[in-house]
Amino acid sequence: MESGSNSNAARESIFQSIRSHLAASAALDVRENQIKHAPDAPLRPSQAVASEQDSASLVDLFKENLESVDGHCVVVGSELELVRALTDVIAQLQRTSLRARKIAISDSPEVERLVKQIGIDVDEIAVAPSATDVFGFDVGISRAQAAIAETGTLLLNSLRERHRLVSLVPPVHIAIIDASEIVGTLGEALAGLRQDEQVSPIVTLVTGPSRTADIELTLAIGVHGPQELYVIVNARR
Amino acid sequence: MHHVTSETFDENAKVALADTQLRGALRNATSLFGQRRLAAAKGLTNWEDLRTQARAIKDEVLLHLDKYLEQFVRNAESRGAQFHWARDAAEANAIICDLARKRGARTIVKSKSMTTEETHLNVALEGAGIQVVETDLGEYIIQLAEETPSHIIVPAIHKTKRQIAELFTQELGIPPTDDVAKLTSTARATLRDRFAAADIGISGVNFGIAETGTILILENEGNIRLTTSLPRVHIAVMGIEKVLPQFADLDIFLKLLPRSGTGQRLTTYQSFITGTKMDPNAEGPEELHVVMLDNGRSRMLAHPVTRQSLACIRCGACLNACPVYQQIGGHAYGSVYPGPIGAVITPQLMGLEKTQQLPYASSLCGACREVCPVKIDIPRLLLHLRSEITENASPEVAQVKSRTGERLAFKVWRSTMTRRWLYELSAKLGRMTQGLLLKDGNVRRLGGFAKLVPPLIAWTSGRDLRPIEQRSFREQWRKELAQKKN
Repeated sequence: MESGSNSNAARESIFQSIRSHLAASAALDVRENQIKHAPDAPLRPSQAVASEQDSASLVDLFKENLESVDGHCVVVGSELELVRALTDVIAQLQRTSLRARKIAISDSPEVERLVKQIGIDVDEIAVAPSATDVFGFDVGISRAQAAIAETGTLLLNSLRERHRLVSLVPPVHIAIIDASEIVGTLGEALAGLRQDEQVSPIVTLVTGPSRTADIELTLAIGVHGPQELYVIVNARR
Repeated sequence: MHHVTSETFDENAKVALADTQLRGALRNATSLFGQRRLAAAKGLTNWEDLRTQARAIKDEVLLHLDKYLEQFVRNAESRGAQFHWARDAAEANAIICDLARKRGARTIVKSKSMTTEETHLNVALEGAGIQVVETDLGEYIIQLAEETPSHIIVPAIHKTKRQIAELFTQELGIPPTDDVAKLTSTARATLRDRFAAADIGISGVNFGIAETGTILILENEGNIRLTTSLPRVHIAVMGIEKVLPQFADLDIFLKLLPRSGTGQRLTTYQSFITGTKMDPNAEGPEELHVVMLDNGRSRMLAHPVTRQSLACIRCGACLNACPVYQQIGGHAYGSVYPGPIGAVITPQLMGLEKTQQLPYASSLCGACREVCPVKIDIPRLLLHLRSEITENASPEVAQVKSRTGERLAFKVWRSTMTRRWLYELSAKLGRMTQGLLLKDGNVRRLGGFAKLVPPLIAWTSGRDLRPIEQRSFREQWRKELAQKKN
C-alpha cells in the first residue's frame, strides 16, 4: 500500500491522541454525567418490524410519495400491461425534446425480455453500456431491488444487476418493480440490506429525479442525474 | 476578491450588514429553510426521541472512538478499501496529491465536501498541476467566481441568478439569460465532459458504519454518484468523527439529517459504498482510498463540553436559525465553517489566537441548540471558549484584546448586585446624573464614563440604552401599599 510508512506513523499518532485526550476527560466525564439528565429514550429504537399494511396500500403510499417529489408512477396488473405501459412512456417521451430513440438497459434478464416486447420503433437498445458509451443514450431502463413506501424511494442494489450507470447517466430513468418488493419504512429497507451475508459494494437509494436549488433557491429538476424518473409497479393479480 | 479572516470579524460583519442584496438573499434562504425544517420535523411524531437517540449514539462513538475507528477500518479494508491517515490538512493534501501523481491523473472531479474545504485541497491540487473541477452546482459557481462557500448546504447563497448568468456568459460563453433552468442545464452539459474525462473522483463522507465498513454519502444532484461511479479511482475524505456503530443507526440519522438540512424526508440520493467492487466486470471504480483526517479533532475529545462539537452532522440548521448568521451570512465569519457551529468549531480547529472574535459572534439566544438534530449545546460551548479566552489567555491572545476593563466592570457589577444598599445608591446616582447623557430620551453619549468601561461604548455604538426610570420598582411598590392602606 502506498504512502505506507508515513501514514503508519500518522495513524499511530492519531490513535495515541484519541486515547490520551479521552483519558484526560475521564474525570470531567464523571462530573458531567452526574449533572446530565439520563436520556429518556433508548439508545436504539426497537428493531424495525414489517409494516402491517397490505401490499395494495403500500403501493398507493409509494405512488403518492414518489409523485410528491416529481417522480412518475404507473401501476399495472400483469406483464402484458407492463409492456404496454413501457411502450406508452417511451412513445410519450419521443414526442418531447428527450427523444427516447436510444435505450440503455441493465443486464437484468427480466428487463431484456420486457424491452424486446415494446411495440414502438427505437434506434438502438444496448445492454449495460460502458462508462464512455453510456453518455450517448436517451433513456435507461432497469429493475429496482426494493422500494420504500413512506418516502417514495427506490433501492438499487448494483450487486444484483448492472444498473449503476443506466439509472444515472441518461436523462430519463425507468425502473420496474414488483409490488411485493415494496416495504413500508426506511428501517425495514435497511434491515433488508443487512440480511445479506455481505453488504453489497454499492447500494443507492433514489427518491425522485435529480434536483438542485443552488441558484436563488429556485428548484431545478435534472441537474446531474435523470430529469425524469418513471417507476412501473407490477401488482400482479 | 478581498480576503476576509476571522480576525477581522467585526469589520466583516459591518461590510455584510451594509450589503442589502446579501441580506435579502439571507432573509429568504434562512426563513425558507427554517420553515421547511419545522414542517419536516412535525411530520414525525418522535422527533425529540430521535434527537436524543442520535446524540446518545454519537456520545457512545466519541467515548470509544479508537475502538469504532479500528472496527470501521478493519471491515472496510477487508472489502478492498485502502486507508490513509492525516494528522493535519497538509498531510491530507500531500496524500491526495501523491495518489493523483502516481496515477498520472490530469483531471479530477470533486463533489461537495466541507472537509476538503477545511484542508483547502483544491489549492494544493492546482499547485501540483492537476485540474480539479467542483461538480456540485453551487460549488461549481463558487469555483468559477473564485470565491468561497457561504453556507454549508447552499454554498452560493450569496449570489443572485443575474450574477451567476453574467459569470456563465463570461466563463462559458452562453448568451445572457436569467432562466434558472437554462443555467442549470448549461452546468450539466459543461460538467458532463469533465465527468467523462476524469481520472479520479474525490468525495466527502457523511457517515462511516463500523460494523460493515460502509461509507454513506447524501446528495440531491447526482454529481456524487457520477463522481464515485465513473472515474477509475475514488478518494473519499473523512473526518475521524464520522463513524457510527451500526447499520441500523442510519435509520435515525437518515431521518434527522435531510429534514434538518433542507426539510426533505430523504435527499434524492444516498450512496452506500462498501469497499471496492467484487466482480472485476462490475461498474464502478477499481480503487477506493479513504483519507482519515484528524486536524485538531482528537483534541476536542479532552473535555465533555468541547467533545460535543464532534457530534455535528453538518446539516446547517443552526446557521438558518441564528439571528447573527441571518444578518451577516457565512463569509463574515472568515472561516470554512460559518454560523454558530462554525463559531465553536473554527477556534478549536485553528486555535484561539486568530479566531477569538468568533465565540463572541452570538447573542447566546439558544436558537441553535433548539434546532440541532444532535442536541449540541452550542451556547455552552461558546461560553466555554469565551472563558478560555479570558481565563487562560496566552500572551498573544491577551494582547489582541485587553479584557482588563471588562473584568473590572463585572467585578463592580457583582459587588453592586449583591449589596442592596449599594445597588439602591448606584441607581439613585444614575438617575441624578443620566440627564447629562440623554439624547432623544435615550442614553447615547457615554463619553468619559464609557472610556472607563470599554464594553459599554461598544454596546451603545450600535444600540440605545434606555434611561433608568425616575422611580424604582421598590418605591412604586411602597407607594401602592401606602395607598391601599388609606
